[in-house]
Amino acid sequence: MKKVLGGNDAVSQAVSVCDVEVISAYPITPQTSIIEKIADLIYTKQMNAQFIKVESEHSAMAACIGASIAGSRTFTATSSQGLLLMHEVLHWASGARLPIVLANANRAIAPGWNIWAEATDSLSQRDTGWIQLYAANSQEVFDFIIMSFAVAERSLFPAMVCLDGFLLTHTKEAVEILGNDDAKPLLAKINRDTLDPKNPKAYGALAFPKDYYAIKKQQHLDMLKVFDIFDNVALEFKNITNRYHKAVDVYPTHISDYSIVALGTLSQTARLAVDNLRKEGVDVNLVKINMFRPFPKKQLQELLSNKKLIVVFDRDISHGKGGIVKDEIAGGLDLCNVVGFVGGLGGDTITESDIVSCFLDAKNSQIKGLFL
Amino acid sequence: MKLAKDEIALPNNLACPGCGASLAMRLALKALGRDTVLVIPACCWTIINGPVGKNYAGVSVFHTAFETTSAVASGIKASFKMQGKDHINVVGWAGDGGTFDIGLQSLSGAAERNDDIIYVCYDNEAYMNTGIQRSSATPYFAQTTTTPEGKDRPKKDLMGILAAHYVPYIASASLAYPQDFTKKFEKAKSIRGFKFIHIFVPCPPGQKFQEDKTIEVAKLAVETGVFPLYEIIDGKYVLSKKPKFVDITEYLKLQGRYKNLTEENIEFLRQAIKSKWEYLNKRFNE
Repeated sequence: MKKVLGGNDAVSQAVSVCDVEVISAYPITPQTSIIEKIADLIYTKQMNAQFIKVESEHSAMAACIGASIAGSRTFTATSSQGLLLMHEVLHWASGARLPIVLANANRAIAPGWNIWAEATDSLSQRDTGWIQLYAANSQEVFDFIIMSFAVAERSLFPAMVCLDGFLLTHTKEAVEILGNDDAKPLLAKINRDTLDPKNPKAYGALAFPKDYYAIKKQQHLDMLKVFDIFDNVALEFKNITNRYHKAVDVYPTHISDYSIVALGTLSQTARLAVDNLRKEGVDVNLVKINMFRPFPKKQLQELLSNKKLIVVFDRDISHGKGGIVKDEIAGGLDLCNVVGFVGGLGGDTITESDIVSCFLDAKNSQIKGLFL
Repeated sequence: MKLAKDEIALPNNLACPGCGASLAMRLALKALGRDTVLVIPACCWTIINGPVGKNYAGVSVFHTAFETTSAVASGIKASFKMQGKDHINVVGWAGDGGTFDIGLQSLSGAAERNDDIIYVCYDNEAYMNTGIQRSSATPYFAQTTTTPEGKDRPKKDLMGILAAHYVPYIASASLAYPQDFTKKFEKAKSIRGFKFIHIFVPCPPGQKFQEDKTIEVAKLAVETGVFPLYEIIDGKYVLSKKPKFVDITEYLKLQGRYKNLTEENIEFLRQAIKSKWEYLNKRFNE
């Protein structure tokens, strides 16, 4: 069935078909309509869940941690400053191996105050041990939320689905949705270690260096297993929906001289730029990153290792370094033929012609990467 | 009233000799029983409960971030409700730093929502686990490593703050009166909604007294009127024990943290106790 949904509606709709038992959240623009809709679904008995209306995002994540360690399927949504306030407890959720799912409406970070799209908020959480998925349209938002619950519970890692503020959260488009029964086969309940008075244990106890090191090493090795888990979930999801989401997408073809790399809605704009460039006879493709953590090194190596030039577009910034995605691509794949552009910060406009001209400047060696 | 025989908390934990917080857990669990889970933030009990593989509390424990006790407990309770395990006591167990200071926001949030949890603050009146730094629970004139001159501000009135949240049950309890102590935990267990219990736990290294004087210090805190024992049941103040109002010097002289007090300071404290009891008596008689 198709429905016309904004990105935020797609999140709430997906959460409502996943048998989520506990939601805890705090309002922040542009995430608010996600939790308003969930509150309404619970009030009208279309969803059977507890909604803990907390006094901050820090407590929102803490309450999710409590609900998850007690055994419930758990969800929250946030954005920008809210995600930053959660930062400490994001580590706690992943360290305790809790399969919490979070939707983050990507938004710029103050000062100055700005409520519009930018991915610095979630990209700067890359080291918190969370799976990170970036959606480019409402269909992906809907699909990624459902897939995230499956991947999180099978891997015992929390997962965040990121969607650009307003560009995606508040823009409506047709979305093919699933019913509750359709999602069920993907989301069979998995037995995991949870709080039980009959089996008293201490979770997260004091760890001396040797224990601590072993725990953190195992966490990393287990995170690498997420690639296979994601692939399995993606195939099962394809069998149900006929839609196939890989960790990294390529458009239109694998073989090309040049590549443009982007994530989120920026990849939609870049896709149009690739079309325009190819019309002009430039042999370029788009490499669209859906999964940012764990870092899909192998997939990206296959797609990017033999290019004349790779141009990465970032709607985010690491001050004193540059674009975060560019840095990940160049450093993560040991490539020196990568040029990066930072643009669109705080929701500033990037058009496909901006991307075309930056790409051509880089290709013609006039610019080695700068602000757009 | 006899104390329950069941010993849930295990012996040989990692507490310092004479630790009031260790005894508090033992007594509390006798009243709460085994259908209990604890949420413990950064505090002495993080250490007391032992490293990976140990669990001296004897019930399930979730160790959590410093300021999250109440919110984590709320999440656990919500999950148990969804699973039909509503009978399990969900107990936040935090020190004064994690309650009066960094945890106050989430404590206030859970109290305002009237979430069905028991929050216990075991109060040794400073950040003892990090080496005796002042907290907002540190009383007037007490020396700590960050107030070597003695603290120049009074202890925060946490019971009053909790009372302003209109929760069904608030109580203070003392290790020196174990029957009263366990009765309050049993009462908290039987009431739905948010319950708060404030325990004064003497700390030999932090308050600087001999490790065999723990109960004596606890008892004198009550008998001098420094730590009043009372309940606030649905907003009604009920006195648990009328002190003999032993002179405060008996309490102060036991503790090294008060060794620099002048006669003027002591007189100031006498007056502070008097005005505190005038304030409380008005409420007991309402």
